Amino acid sequence: MTDGLRNLQGNAACALGAIAAGCRFYAGYPITPSSEIAEWMAAELPRVEGVFIQMEDEIASMAAVVGASLGGMKAMTATSGPGFSLKQENLGYAIMVEAPCVVVDVMRGGPSTGMPTRPSQGDLMQARWGTHGDHPIVVLAPHTVAEIYTETIRAFALAERLRLPVVLLYDETLGHLVETVATEPPPPEAVVERRWAEVPREAYRPYAAGEDLIPAMARPGDGYRAHTTGLTHDERGFPTQEPAQVAALLDRLLGKLDRHRPLIERVETVEAADADVLIVAVGITARAARAAVRELRRTGVKAGLFRPVTLWPFPEGRFRRQAESARAILVPEMNAGQLVLEIERLAPDGVRVRGLPRYDGEPVAPDAIVAAARELVG
Amino acid sequence: MAEVLQIRLSGSGGQGLILAGRILAAALVSAGRRVAQSQSYEPTSRGGLSRADLVVTDDLADYPLVTALDHLVILDKPAAHASDGLLHAGSTVLCDGRKVTSAVRGPFALHRLPLWETAVRVGSPRVANIVALAALTAIGGFVPVALLREKVVGLAPARYRDLNAEAFDAGLALAAGERAARV
Repeated sequence: MTDGLRNLQGNAACALGAIAAGCRFYAGYPITPSSEIAEWMAAELPRVEGVFIQMEDEIASMAAVVGASLGGMKAMTATSGPGFSLKQENLGYAIMVEAPCVVVDVMRGGPSTGMPTRPSQGDLMQARWGTHGDHPIVVLAPHTVAEIYTETIRAFALAERLRLPVVLLYDETLGHLVETVATEPPPPEAVVERRWAEVPREAYRPYAAGEDLIPAMARPGDGYRAHTTGLTHDERGFPTQEPAQVAALLDRLLGKLDRHRPLIERVETVEAADADVLIVAVGITARAARAAVRELRRTGVKAGLFRPVTLWPFPEGRFRRQAESARAILVPEMNAGQLVLEIERLAPDGVRVRGLPRYDGEPVAPDAIVAAARELVG
Repeated sequence: MAEVLQIRLSGSGGQGLILAGRILAAALVSAGRRVAQSQSYEPTSRGGLSRADLVVTDDLADYPLVTALDHLVILDKPAAHASDGLLHAGSTVLCDGRKVTSAVRGPFALHRLPLWETAVRVGSPRVANIVALAALTAIGGFVPVALLREKVVGLAPARYRDLNAEAFDAGLALAAGERAARV
């Protein structure tokens, strides 16, 4: 095909992005509509001397990924809603022990086993709040096959840089969509390697961090003493319930997101500067919104799109500034109304916010967004 | 954005429609266009509605799913009316003359062709997808026929290569007859 372009499925792009980012360990328990990621990783990882393991279940897959990460590997697993639920406990453990890893959730209709072959955006909140306790997490929401490739690479970079699990979140439609893409090798700066401890062994404190709030990890075999536990721990890694130390740990963990916001946040806007009606959407719904913005502009309605590529932490500052000049905000999404809650929280006073929920297993069509936007500002 | 084309190949599960969609997508990319291809993804491998959709653009498609079809193939009964709401006056519809008994009606151009019979005549009903693909392309003119033939030969399973090439040529002949009949 011409100019390095080829037709590639979304889930395949995710697997190839992971390999390009340096992922060399995958553990998973195949589940529709994410199974092609496992299939591709099983084929591709042996070619780069990586390890693929089909585990006995979703929980064990997440545990294996955390173990591989602590052992020094860039590691990934992929699942869908039901499996994502099962992974939450070990995902919390990864957050607590600061094990970088990437978890892909290809969303399908829920709750429970729901509709395995139908798209949904029902996990937007599960991705943010699925595991218990106050915790930091980064969630990326690509909207094209090409972006699944590049955001998977970015997911690994952020995971390594922040010592944090990163969730890549997209729906069945994008997972199975085939688009014409160029999968270029990432530029060197897009690939981030683990920062290993270099201090003298006796001075090493596994959870002591500098200004950037990210502790250097002990590479297995380097002879550092490191204790790893899901219990609240002090800088040495040993359990503590001493209030000052508990607060210090949580301040640091939660503070990672704020400290590194410019690195984490990514937003795309389309015709947003003078928009009367600002549409906020992610994933396949953002594709429908793009078409809707074009149609609305063609017919004289000043519409724009605000698309948080980094869904969580939500790019609050960017959104607030963008929303100031809008008359109304429309939030189409393939669920009963999740993203709209965040937008209602952040919208400036006097700006109307309206949700456009759909949860029958069909994507939100451009026409529906056009009609709702017209009604809002008509 | 320049011309956007929306194409659907529909029929029942197991007819090779998704392979046909993939072949068409490959030809379109070789012809310098960009494709977004989606398909029915259901537990029915045989018998139920099956479809492969293509949105063809010169740049990244805003919305990658079909919303109004320019070209539609209906190869079998389960697909007879599944796309009615997506047709318009500019649509071209190609359906199998025998299998699709409940005819689609509308202001669009309808071609009823013996797609299955032709496939059986060249050797196997399994190549009805390729007969249809050739006829659709010849009538629609959205990708060079020689380029598509190259992809059919290159991407179809090796042991069916000759059969697929024959099916393709038979499909072209069907379409040629069709155009002559319309003059």
